[in-house]
Amino acid sequence: MNDLPWLTIVTFLPLLGAILIAFIPRPQVRLVRGVALGTALLTFIVSLLLLLEFDINATGFQYREEVDWIPAFGIQYKLGIDGMSLALVVLTTTLTWISILASFAPIRDRVKEYMISFLLLEVGMIGVFVALDLFLFYIFWELVLVPMYLIIGVWGGANRIYATIKFVLYTLVGSLLMLVAILGMAFTYQAATGSWVGSFDYETLRGFGFDPTLQMLAFIGFFLAFAIKVPMFPFHTWLPDAHVEAPTAGSVILAGVLLKLGGYGLIRFNVPLFPDAAQAVAPLIIVLSLIGIVYGAIVALVQPDLKKLVAYSSVSHMGFVTLGIFIFTEQGLQGALLQMIAHGIITGALFLLVGVIYERTHDRTIAKMGGLAAVMPVYAAVFGYFVLASLALPGLAGFVGEFLVLVGAFEYWPPVAAIAALAMMLGAAYLLWMYQRVIFGEVSDFLRGLGHHLRDMDRTEALTLAPLVVMTLAFGLFPGLLLNLFTLPVNDFLASVGGGIVIGGR
Amino acid sequence: MIMFDEATILSLAPPSLVVLLALGLIIFDMARPGRHGALTVLGSLGLAAIMAVTLVIGPVNVIGIIQDRAGYEAFDGAYVRDALTAFLDLLLLGVALLTILVGPDYLRPRGLPAAEFAAMLLFAISGAMLIAGARDLILLFLALELLVLPGYLLAGYAKRDGLATEGAIKYFLLGSFSSAIFLFGLVLVFGFAGTTRIPDVAQSLLGTAGLAAVPAGLLMGLALLTTGAAFKIAAVPFHYWTPDAYQGSPTPVTGYLSVGPKVAAFALILRLFVEALGDFKADWTPFVVVLAVLTMSLGNLVALTQDNVKRMLAYSSIAHTGYIMVGLAVFGAAAIGSVAEQAGLEALLFYAFAYAGMNLGAFAVVAALQRRPGVTSQISSFAGLGRRSPLLAVLMTLFLLSLLGIPPLAGFLAKWYVIQAALQVGGWLNVVAVITVVNAMVGAFYYLRVAVYIWMREPVEGAPPVEVGAATRVGLVLAAVVTLFIWLPGVSATFFAIAAEAASVLIAGS
Repeated sequence: MNDLPWLTIVTFLPLLGAILIAFIPRPQVRLVRGVALGTALLTFIVSLLLLLEFDINATGFQYREEVDWIPAFGIQYKLGIDGMSLALVVLTTTLTWISILASFAPIRDRVKEYMISFLLLEVGMIGVFVALDLFLFYIFWELVLVPMYLIIGVWGGANRIYATIKFVLYTLVGSLLMLVAILGMAFTYQAATGSWVGSFDYETLRGFGFDPTLQMLAFIGFFLAFAIKVPMFPFHTWLPDAHVEAPTAGSVILAGVLLKLGGYGLIRFNVPLFPDAAQAVAPLIIVLSLIGIVYGAIVALVQPDLKKLVAYSSVSHMGFVTLGIFIFTEQGLQGALLQMIAHGIITGALFLLVGVIYERTHDRTIAKMGGLAAVMPVYAAVFGYFVLASLALPGLAGFVGEFLVLVGAFEYWPPVAAIAALAMMLGAAYLLWMYQRVIFGEVSDFLRGLGHHLRDMDRTEALTLAPLVVMTLAFGLFPGLLLNLFTLPVNDFLASVGGGIVIGGR
Repeated sequence: MIMFDEATILSLAPPSLVVLLALGLIIFDMARPGRHGALTVLGSLGLAAIMAVTLVIGPVNVIGIIQDRAGYEAFDGAYVRDALTAFLDLLLLGVALLTILVGPDYLRPRGLPAAEFAAMLLFAISGAMLIAGARDLILLFLALELLVLPGYLLAGYAKRDGLATEGAIKYFLLGSFSSAIFLFGLVLVFGFAGTTRIPDVAQSLLGTAGLAAVPAGLLMGLALLTTGAAFKIAAVPFHYWTPDAYQGSPTPVTGYLSVGPKVAAFALILRLFVEALGDFKADWTPFVVVLAVLTMSLGNLVALTQDNVKRMLAYSSIAHTGYIMVGLAVFGAAAIGSVAEQAGLEALLFYAFAYAGMNLGAFAVVAALQRRPGVTSQISSFAGLGRRSPLLAVLMTLFLLSLLGIPPLAGFLAKWYVIQAALQVGGWLNVVAVITVVNAMVGAFYYLRVAVYIWMREPVEGAPPVEVGAATRVGLVLAAVVTLFIWLPGVSATFFAIAAEAASVLIAGS
């Protein structure tokens, strides 16, 4: 089956669906939804097929595709995946079909445009994970921006325009400087070798030792782009706004995949391309990560709005990812990768759950809730499950990642681990306190006023959450499923910063 | 006695055919008055045919219709048809084609005559095409006047409209003023060089170029020429005429004014500053760098505060002038004979091409929206366009995203080209490259603001339906194809190669 360009297929299948939808007459809403979901499911299945032939013991990239694109500058259409990108591609395709299914009921206006945007978004997201040419990577990176801008801005809440402009401007600031860094790197390579061939090729550049000044400048260019996306403290201020205003499915994708683009970028590009700069800056980034972990948790504690609370918890959880990356230990990085997947699943589920309650009450204020356990028992149980997963209950996916990061951090310097562990306790505090106020106690007057509108989860909602429930448990009990995929990428990463091992180069 | 040999006829064929087409359209209109549709078809088919002729005559060796042709000369070398002329001619003809397609749909409901519009446009374009191949200072100046005079008329075309008259008068006064300054500069250069032929100018000034001290008179000539040229491309601080002239003119004319004369003025800069005065580049480069930075920054900052889309696009076109000038600055700052010299000019040419497509497209959408008289170009006219006319809404978003520089659209490739050229030179131009991207970011704010109105605001109560005429539709599709598909593997490589061939002419010549 390796004859077919599988990565191209999985990347551009959603585009095909989007084009198909564009030709469906506007009133045929059911057909539009059906085609969108069908495309997303098909893409999901293809991404699972990738797992079949994937060899976890083979080094380097698999399913490679290389075609010259702009030969004058050595730009190629070059795709390939390793275990890390494969896991993230599957996460993306999973969350996309879930999000599209979850949008059926809430999105009633301009369904056609919505579904087209969502499928284009998927193209960009998958493309980022599979591109091995920096020019191509940049194109996919920016491609993600436009549909998300529309999704928040058109189908979002009351303050959506402010939120979406803020989201775009923040992200553009980072990515344009990254473009300069990419070009600077390509030109330096061209000047040194006298040829443009390979000057945008990730695998070639990875082994090319850039001089320290350029490394530092380019590191900063890349780092800003990724740190804003993750988002790291103090670049996180766009996130709560974007989450609060985005429609439910938008939030799921935002938390589930878009934030991972940042983490992926740091692991794939920032550190291996500029190892010396990464070593030099690592302590600063570790400090910022710790601040993010603690700050996110403290701010989440006092949020009156459910969605905002989950948004700030993301800042805290993603702090573990950046911490895990920049302590440069095996456990740390494995933990960071696991945490990315787990956070994608768990936070995605939490946003879906907030969406469920918002659909019924059109409100997200914690103070107005209370006693949901009595009226929506199934909902309360599922919510409780994901709250526990999010606060890293052993046995569920959230635990393994954070635990591994803590182990790595302890190896790095025990006080770092101590601070991070403290923040985990804060995490338990804000999540459980929120859960208590929303689910237990007397049914609040506000909810009682809604009467029979407050029915339990329907079948579609259960269907969107079921796979996430299973995955949370599966990856919690058998983290090896994922860790096996990560072994070789983690080794590559550590080799690039190990100092002792030099990969090729001059 | 001038011999009309084959080279003369072939080299002058494209501009002459444009003049003939203009005359033909006027005669057609006299014989069959009021047949706007047929006129548009005739004009656009004629232009397409001239484009085909230009492509065949070439010389565009990279596409290889006729291989290995260095170029033709006419009138003893006063006019030359080389790869650069061919590139610019094709670009200018494309600009005319789009304008002629979009124009009538806007003019007709307002009772403005279409034949005169088309004819004046074509006269202006023929002037621009003569600039592209001018190798003589006198021809350069005459062609420049042939370009701008019809432009003044077009700007004041809606003569009963106060804003149009105001804009046209400003354009005319500042335009003739700058022409005079430019002419004065030419005279001084002629005084020192003793010839008007551009290659001879370069040759005869070469003696002084090596000296540490360039004669003060020649420097003054350079300063005057720079000022005159800066007026024509509307570089800050010589841009004051643009916003009023652009806002007042009929929208299709604005589209033309923001691209046609600008491309022509850059052609003039290439022929004059790069080809004739390239050896003095150390003297003019610092000004170009400063002007480029000022132009893009100020254009963007002022565009931020505009509520009228035409005016916003006017300031955005000033910003884009700045980006294009970076290409010139790269040529100037690069070491003589280095690869970066040519890269800068390639970037300039490619940017001009991409800019023409996306900017004309954006203006075409504004024109289509304003087809019904009384619809203003205020940003509020765009409210809810996504519901009222999804086609226009998608296209406008496409053009705006391209102007903003979102990959893989044409505007992104163009910016990418300019920035990579700047980074090749290094030094101060690294800073210029960073300033360029920071500006691109600022641009995001005002371009996306229009997108917010298109997609995220509801239409005004009782907003009339939007009808797009057939010709406008064709024009929009052409512009969209250029903007959307240029990144395709073979396509981008071809266009890069054509720009490279055109740029190489100047490098070999200087």
